[in-house]
Amino acid sequence: MGLFTGLRHSISRVTDRLFSEQEPKRIGIYGPPNAGKTTLANRIARDWTGDAIGKESHIPHETRRARRKEGVEIERNGKSVTIDIVDTPGVTTKVDYEEFTDEMDKDDAIRRSREATEGVAEAMHWLREDVDGVIYVLDSAEDPITQVNTMLIGIIESRDLPVLIFANKIDLEESSVKRIEDAFPQHETVPLSAKEGDNMDEVYENIAEYFG
Amino acid sequence: MPHQCTNCERTFPDGSKEMLSGCPDCGGNKFQFVPAAAVDSSGGADPTAGEGSATDRADSPTRERADPDSLRTEDGFSEWPETARRPEDRQGSTSASGSPGGRSVDGDAGGDDTSRTGRGTSRADDSSTPPGDATRTEIEDTTPEEEAPRADAEDAAQADARSGFVPREELPDPPDPPESTDDGPPSDGRVVSEPTGERPSMEELREELNDQFESIKIVNPGQYELNLMELYDREEYIVSLQEDGRYVIDVPDSWRQGE
Repeated sequence: MGLFTGLRHSISRVTDRLFSEQEPKRIGIYGPPNAGKTTLANRIARDWTGDAIGKESHIPHETRRARRKEGVEIERNGKSVTIDIVDTPGVTTKVDYEEFTDEMDKDDAIRRSREATEGVAEAMHWLREDVDGVIYVLDSAEDPITQVNTMLIGIIESRDLPVLIFANKIDLEESSVKRIEDAFPQHETVPLSAKEGDNMDEVYENIAEYFG
Repeated sequence: MPHQCTNCERTFPDGSKEMLSGCPDCGGNKFQFVPAAAVDSSGGADPTAGEGSATDRADSPTRERADPDSLRTEDGFSEWPETARRPEDRQGSTSASGSPGGRSVDGDAGGDDTSRTGRGTSRADDSSTPPGDATRTEIEDTTPEEEAPRADAEDAAQADARSGFVPREELPDPPDPPESTDDGPPSDGRVVSEPTGERPSMEELREELNDQFESIKIVNPGQYELNLMELYDREEYIVSLQEDGRYVIDVPDSWRQGE
């Protein structure tokens, strides 16, 4: 990250004055549960502000409330963008507490399930009301063509929101970025591993370009 | 002058087709029917004579307007046969010589009283004796019987208006009202399907409704099905679900302003 941080500092001094009055764009990080949205949000926030956004977990629906990190300034190749990152709960059409009973007792699983459902409602509400752009995170080790992904990307397109598709978890063996590119050829797909920090330069380039 | 535009008070003869496309003067489309009886027997046959609003009616401008007409065309009113009036009117006129009508005559007996009261009384004399009895028995019998003479007694305009057609260009829209009258229930306008012997179970109906309307379906505690499109489309959103199946929603400001 050393090179990257140095770059950031040198550019930010110039671009600060040029773009500081820009209204921050609110970028929603959307995607199905366990795609790595919070891991990505944390990485972005840590890289540019030093703070994390939320707790990460391998259990689905760890994020059950939309969380926002405001005023995250990202600069790349002379382009700068100040964004508010909204990490949203994973969107799904079914929530079942039995998914979590291995990890916790039944009451907690039921509560988690209920909160996750509220979280989906909230995420959908944000999408409707409060988002200027979308980062759609997919687990590249999973089949991207699901009802949820198709519907959400359809909604995002219908609103003409700028959208970037992030093919996350490229560090996994089963990962296939091409599968995602083929599924959504109309959008720019960026491969990355939020967990490992792989290909983050390209991630920030794209964010600065798309949402700047 | 039975029909009167409630807006500009222009009157139309009974059966007039002029008013079918709105009042030609002011475009108003609300008309009141001023019964012949109300005009002719200002003393007697107010249709609501028995309902206590008779005096109100008597004081209304309609009534006052009708009076000069009734004077002018006084002779004409003998042409309105008893049977051409609504039964209540008739009954009213027979009993009119009694209390309520009498009162109202006294009430507006201003300058034109003599002729009217004169007519009123003579009328009462005429009808209260033999014809009065006749009408009363007629009313006590069933209506169909009285309907017949009434139809016969329709004047030409009235009859024409019932069977006649308004020229097509005067109609606001193509739909043809007479078409629907005698065909019985239209076969193509049904929304509901024909009732079949089998009724869908409550379960199925609920299923169907859930599919259509619910944004979050609670299958069991801790198990939910979500309709993403609904969640996205709705202005209000569910803030919290509670164990007992209740939930809290966020109501958009625009709703509150509407109240």
